[in-house]
Amino acid sequence: MPDPEATAEPIVCARNLTRIYPLGAGTVTGVAGLNLDIARGEFVVLKGPSGSGKSTLLALLAALDTPSAGELTVAGRRLSGRPPGDLTRFRREAVGMVFQSFNLLPTLNVIENICLPALLAGRDEREARRRAEELLERLGLSGRARHPADRLSGGEMQRVAIARAVINHPALVLADEPTGNLDSRNGSAVIELLARLNREDRITVLLATHSDLADGVATRRLTLRDGALVSPPCGD
Amino acid sequence: MRRLISFFRLFAAFSLRHAARHGGRTVAVVLGIALGAAVFTSVRLAVHASIASFTRSMDFFAGNADRVVVRPGGLLPEETLALFYTHPAVRDYSVVSTTYVRRQGEGTEPFLLIGIDPLLDRTFRSWRIEGEGTKAIEAWLDLLREPYTILLTAPLARELEVDAGGGLALEHTRRTARFRVVGLLEPSGLALVEGGRVGIVDIATFQELTGLHGGVDRIDLKFRRGVTPSEIEALARELPEDLQLGTPSAARESGTAMIRAYQLNLSVLSFASLFVGMFLVYSLVALNVAARRRELAVLRALGAAPHTLFRLFLAEGALLGGLGWILALPIGSVLVRYLLEAVSRTITTLFVRVRVEELVLSPAELSVSFAVTLGTSLIAAWQPAREAMRVSPREAMDMMTPEERRRKSARSAALLALGCLAACAVLLPLPPAGGVPLGGYLAVLLLFLGFALLSPFLLERLASGLEGRLSRIAGPPAFLAGRAVRQGAVRTAVSVGALITAVALFTALVIMVYSFRRTVETWVRQTVSGDLFVTAKMGQVNRFRFPLPEEIVTELPRLAAGFDLVESRRWPLQRGDFPYEFEAMGMETFFRHGDFLWLEGDPEALRPRIAAGEGVLVSEVFAARTGQRTGDRFQAQIEGSLVDLPILAVVRDYRTDGGIVFYSHRHFRERYHDPRWSGVRFFFREPPADPEGELARLRRAIVAAWGDRLDLIGGRELREAVLRIFDETFAVTTVLLLIALAVAALGIATTLTVLVLERSWQLNTILAVGGSPPQIRAMILWEAAFLVAVGEGAGLACGFLLSGMLIQVINRQSFGWTFLYTVDWASLGLSLPLILAAALAAALPAVRAAFRLPPAALLRQR
Ligand SMILES: Nc1ncnc2c1ncn2[C@@H]1O[C@H](COP(=O)(O)OP(=O)(O)OP(=O)(O)O)[C@@H](O)[C@H]1O
Ligand SMILES: [Mg+2]
Repeated sequence: MPDPEATAEPIVCARNLTRIYPLGAGTVTGVAGLNLDIARGEFVVLKGPSGSGKSTLLALLAALDTPSAGELTVAGRRLSGRPPGDLTRFRREAVGMVFQSFNLLPTLNVIENICLPALLAGRDEREARRRAEELLERLGLSGRARHPADRLSGGEMQRVAIARAVINHPALVLADEPTGNLDSRNGSAVIELLARLNREDRITVLLATHSDLADGVATRRLTLRDGALVSPPCGD
Repeated sequence: MRRLISFFRLFAAFSLRHAARHGGRTVAVVLGIALGAAVFTSVRLAVHASIASFTRSMDFFAGNADRVVVRPGGLLPEETLALFYTHPAVRDYSVVSTTYVRRQGEGTEPFLLIGIDPLLDRTFRSWRIEGEGTKAIEAWLDLLREPYTILLTAPLARELEVDAGGGLALEHTRRTARFRVVGLLEPSGLALVEGGRVGIVDIATFQELTGLHGGVDRIDLKFRRGVTPSEIEALARELPEDLQLGTPSAARESGTAMIRAYQLNLSVLSFASLFVGMFLVYSLVALNVAARRRELAVLRALGAAPHTLFRLFLAEGALLGGLGWILALPIGSVLVRYLLEAVSRTITTLFVRVRVEELVLSPAELSVSFAVTLGTSLIAAWQPAREAMRVSPREAMDMMTPEERRRKSARSAALLALGCLAACAVLLPLPPAGGVPLGGYLAVLLLFLGFALLSPFLLERLASGLEGRLSRIAGPPAFLAGRAVRQGAVRTAVSVGALITAVALFTALVIMVYSFRRTVETWVRQTVSGDLFVTAKMGQVNRFRFPLPEEIVTELPRLAAGFDLVESRRWPLQRGDFPYEFEAMGMETFFRHGDFLWLEGDPEALRPRIAAGEGVLVSEVFAARTGQRTGDRFQAQIEGSLVDLPILAVVRDYRTDGGIVFYSHRHFRERYHDPRWSGVRFFFREPPADPEGELARLRRAIVAAWGDRLDLIGGRELREAVLRIFDETFAVTTVLLLIALAVAALGIATTLTVLVLERSWQLNTILAVGGSPPQIRAMILWEAAFLVAVGEGAGLACGFLLSGMLIQVINRQSFGWTFLYTVDWASLGLSLPLILAAALAAALPAVRAAFRLPPAALLRQR
């Protein structure tokens, strides 16, 4: 069997994944008993009504939150019950995050924002700069490397944020409503960029969204309702 | 009315709820103001209670005389009274003398003995004997008729463990005598002098006890109704040349004048804590305005008038001030007890005897402290409230506030800072107004303000200057911290300003107190030299008015073979409001063993001229207060002689905060009259093999001969006592300083926490893109390090400037003395890192606050 690792082993494997939020005296369900496998190289679009648990799932996958129950393995690493140091390393090496509100640091300029994950991970600075410049080139933003991040337009900010998400060569990019704050033209550009990264760099993308902009590029579409998947979870 | 109600509704919903939601920082700021207000109020209360006790005492004692007759530096001959028997202008006259005595025995405290003529005195001072009509009259008659009878106040009688009818042995300079207590005084009028520690005797008994036959301290006069000023002037002219006609309040006024400078300096220092607290209010209100800009814009867009927003934030400042003031009451009530004790002790040792037995918290005092606390809070909230007023409704649509404006404001703040510092340089040299160095104090205020305004600029410079190097050495946390500091420079400036102020005060006072102490040490070593000091019993408390008896003066040298004796005589004198001492001392012998601390002139050339009696030496304070300097002539009436001598030089002296004039004892006798001895010090002629043994032998011999009539104190003990008093005096200062530093640390803690909470999404983003929790903690600590570094660095610079101003200008103007500038590197080297550590520790709540929001919250942000 050729290249068993890359293709056979799913990059995301969730079993009975559950996240319950305590709220006052009672609880609120984020995700409940969710089973999910995502294979390397997929472009998965995650849909579902507001409050169905999309962001909760992404936070769990990015190790920004810990599950209340269930098993979760991402990029070959089991995420439950790990010490904070391991989770930090996981975030540095395995995933890239893209947010609805961009979350660029206003104190840094464009290229510094892109290089930040490399800097935090202690990677070689020159190497990171080279890659950042190359990414900027691909984003059509090469002229703006030294502009303050808070002076860009929304579409530009989100493109910079995507570059920041992939600077450390993650296997998986998690994007939560990346087009939510953008008009449809800028939104399409962002989706196109993610699709290119998926195609050219073989980066797996999980995109949570309400819009239909990504429907065309998705390799698979999932729907969440009340914290569980509605469509069949594993394989097709 | 409706408008008011709706304003308060808005205030409750908009401001109170926000304050409650951010309870931690509100509490920190309120605590800061409370500490400041508590210090301010308790210092005021303590000083005022001491002064009130003094003036009340002086007023009861002064009675209702119109004028008093005194003889400067000496006693009035009783015959003077005859002048007034038939004088057309005078209706009543009386005599009065006072001295301190104490009950015979170990460790008893002196109390004031007042000698009066019970008959003549009735129209002047009010005092009544306890008991039924006839019993009181009996006691009064006994006092008049029988020698060695005394009236005591009830509390004093209790302290001395005697009752009416009992007997009591009292010690005075010349002798110890037994008294019979004929009655107790009712607690009113004269009985309240010195907090009730007084006894009254007939003037004849007084003279017999003290040996001052035929002499009295003072004659009180009451004029006939309708007497004209010219008649009073005529009376003054008729008096013999060496007598003076003065007002009864002169003693009180000169006493309070002396305390005033001390009071003022302490008040200014106590205000410092409140000033630092003011920074806190400013920083919190400013942070709220900045953080809630968007909400403000929305309010404006919904129709709120600009002045409504202005009033909202002003009200917030008022609320902080009001709460702080309420919290200050319990803190102050603890603090004031310590301060009262320390302040009254200092005033007693340095200026005038005070005894504070009660502390009255008058409504007036309460309102002053409330007004000052509220006022400073309102002033602090003013500027941010104006800023709130300028928020435009359009900002509700903007995404972010541009950084451009911040940069510009850092630069314009720096320009304003330069303006402040320039104004400071202009104000500093202004002459004092009525003994108050107003220009100096204003200059200090401007100095603080200037440095605080400079801090955003310094922060930006430091952060951008170190950015490259630090990120290479300390990694991404330092780099990110530098960026955050650069951006937040203007907003953090206020807390940094508070730290600058506190550190500057600390540095300046450490330098000042140390310089002062080193100078005093040198002075003590040189001028207060001697191996044994002997004065008439209670010489110090009785201000050396009772010279040593002749037989002791002639016998003493015989007992002290192997010793050099330096005799001296001190007279308390007065020039206008300014009290000073004249001291005649054995200069030739003194120069063999000790020296003065020369301020100007060539000591080598001056010593022989002083010893030869060519002129007097005056202390720095005397020169500063009278304006007389080297080359001028010193003139004063001393007992029967008019002393008129050239001033040869100025020396430093710290014995009292009045002035001192020194002259040769031998030449005083030759030129004027026999000054007699009020004290003498002994020096070993040659250093002996066993100094302690030799000294003990001398002490034993003197005590055996006249132990009941002399006070003895070893040179070393005396010098140690002087330095101990010095340290006690400045203990208050240290406490006040530590409080100011604590308030500044509170400021750092609040600011950093607020900054961290405000940026929690940034911190979470850093975490999400691969930052580790330790990296984020390190980043916040680095931010704190930047703030603290600028705070301490600028504070240190400001402190050095301030110390120079304090020593060279403010002390000179308010006390008249200066000292040798000496920097206490050891203390600074030890305490500055401690302050640094404490300020960094103040960042810990901020570090903890960093992870208050779960990182997943990032995904819920729109
Ligand atoms: N920290 C929290 N505390 C309590 N409940 C929470 C918390 N975070 C999320 N929830 C709840 O969990 C459920 C799922 O929320 P989640 O944000 O994952 O939905 P979503 O699908 O991303 O919605 P949207 O499309 O609006 O972004 C919701 O009911 C939400 O209220
Ligand atoms: Mg969501």
